[in-house]
Amino acid sequence: MSAPINIRDLAPGTSVVLAGGAEAEIIDNPRDGIWLFARYLSSPRDPTLVGQEEMIFAQDVVAVGAAALGPGRL
Amino acid sequence: MAVNARQGYRPGLIDLRLGEISREIFVNEDVYAQEQERVFARAWLHVGHESQIPKPGDYFVSSMGEESVILCRDRTGRIHVFLNSCRHRGMKVCRYDEGSTTVFTCPYHGWSYGTDGRLVGVPHFREAYHSRLDKEKWGLVEVAQLCNYKGSIWATWDPAAPPFAEYLGDFARYLDLQLDGWDGREGQAEVLGGVQKWLVPCNWKFPAENFSGDTYHNISHRSVDLAGIGPSGASRRDMGERDASRKLHVCIPDRGHQTIHYVLPAGQMPPPAYLNAPIVAEYFRHCEEEKRRRRGEEARMVGAPGEIFPNTALLSRQPRTMAAWHPRGPHQTECWRWFFVDRDAPKEVKEFLRDYYIRYSGPAGMTEQDDMENWNYAHAASRGTIARRYPYNYDQGSGTAVTDYEYQGLKVPGEVIDLTEVQSSEQPMRNFYRRWAEFMEADDWSQLATWRVNERKAAE
Repeated sequence: MSAPINIRDLAPGTSVVLAGGAEAEIIDNPRDGIWLFARYLSSPRDPTLVGQEEMIFAQDVVAVGAAALGPGRL
Repeated sequence: MAVNARQGYRPGLIDLRLGEISREIFVNEDVYAQEQERVFARAWLHVGHESQIPKPGDYFVSSMGEESVILCRDRTGRIHVFLNSCRHRGMKVCRYDEGSTTVFTCPYHGWSYGTDGRLVGVPHFREAYHSRLDKEKWGLVEVAQLCNYKGSIWATWDPAAPPFAEYLGDFARYLDLQLDGWDGREGQAEVLGGVQKWLVPCNWKFPAENFSGDTYHNISHRSVDLAGIGPSGASRRDMGERDASRKLHVCIPDRGHQTIHYVLPAGQMPPPAYLNAPIVAEYFRHCEEEKRRRRGEEARMVGAPGEIFPNTALLSRQPRTMAAWHPRGPHQTECWRWFFVDRDAPKEVKEFLRDYYIRYSGPAGMTEQDDMENWNYAHAASRGTIARRYPYNYDQGSGTAVTDYEYQGLKVPGEVIDLTEVQSSEQPMRNFYRRWAEFMEADDWSQLATWRVNERKAAE
């Protein structure tokens, strides 16, 4: 099991990978350790989410930056 | 509903005819529990000041009765007051005293609310709630009514309460003295520094009745007068304007608000003050001239300690502060004090006043310490089985108030007792407890808005 990510440290502009494989870019961080405001960059399971802004729950963030993921990691 | 002076709230508890009030209303836990529902859930309560939340996202955590509330400014600049309790399991969504944020997030399960109160974040909304939770329905609980009165923020939980200006009635002029500029311009006050907060082991009505206009307890501040903490280095205040004025008790009987009030003679300016601080003295001399030019005869009105029912104290004369007496159980009160200055006063004036305010008021203030001592031990000595059998006496000056008071052309509305010779009365306390009894007895605001009934009768 990988170490939990401290989302308080993530700056706007950072991309994160979410459980389920979607990728989102942080647009604001209230730094409460629980939520991020982000815009979907990709969403394999639900492509209609791409471009939408949504609050992302900390436990749904599984990696920081798409480059951090190897093929088939998810 | 007017309270029968022979009966009062529950026979034997408040008897205004005899001037007797039972100690039970201060120490009885059942009475206290009823107060939370019948007084604090229905009255207008002071929450804070807009200068505490100048920018979008700013918040200040306050109290309404026992309830923690958030005073905040949303992204569009609109001011709100919310119950500080998550709709999911009740956890406080804000545990700081003040700050700035984009969302209030509950640390328990993570429900999150925008500064407009809307529920915006629900963990596992799609998965666990299957996207079916109605977020519009589960936003933060907002007060029923909010009023920004010259920068001071007031709120009530009761949608049937009258508008705040009507709730104030003729007492508005005394709140104006607190919030308007010393030079007579409207709404120039700002909060200076932080809010001082402290606990006193007494019922909340002890400070409320004290600030209603208790001049009788001046003896307990004798040591402060001897120490000479006042702005000119003597006594605890500059007393010149008081000594030149008629000293009054003014009560607004159907509202439950009351105050001490000074009225200067026609054509007389306040005597010089702040004699050890030339910049401060010149600032106030200039302000008094401007006020006289703007307000005319009204500028003869000088503010003094007063109380807006139920738990907000005014002190519009120096030291210029407001206080809220938050109930924390029948035997404990959390006192909060805001310190005010004119927002465009010179820096030297603000710094001088801050020093004076701190040595007078708040938990470290010498005058306020005297008060705390009195309330603390009066409450403790009233809790015992034997002590509770004996009522307090509120008979002083009973039957001597007039309703058409005028001094050299300046009319003063309400019930007035001129204290200039008699020194003291307990009319303000009787006024306060009469209104308290009405709140405790009335079913709703159709009975509490007694002035509407009287106006209707007069019209008929």
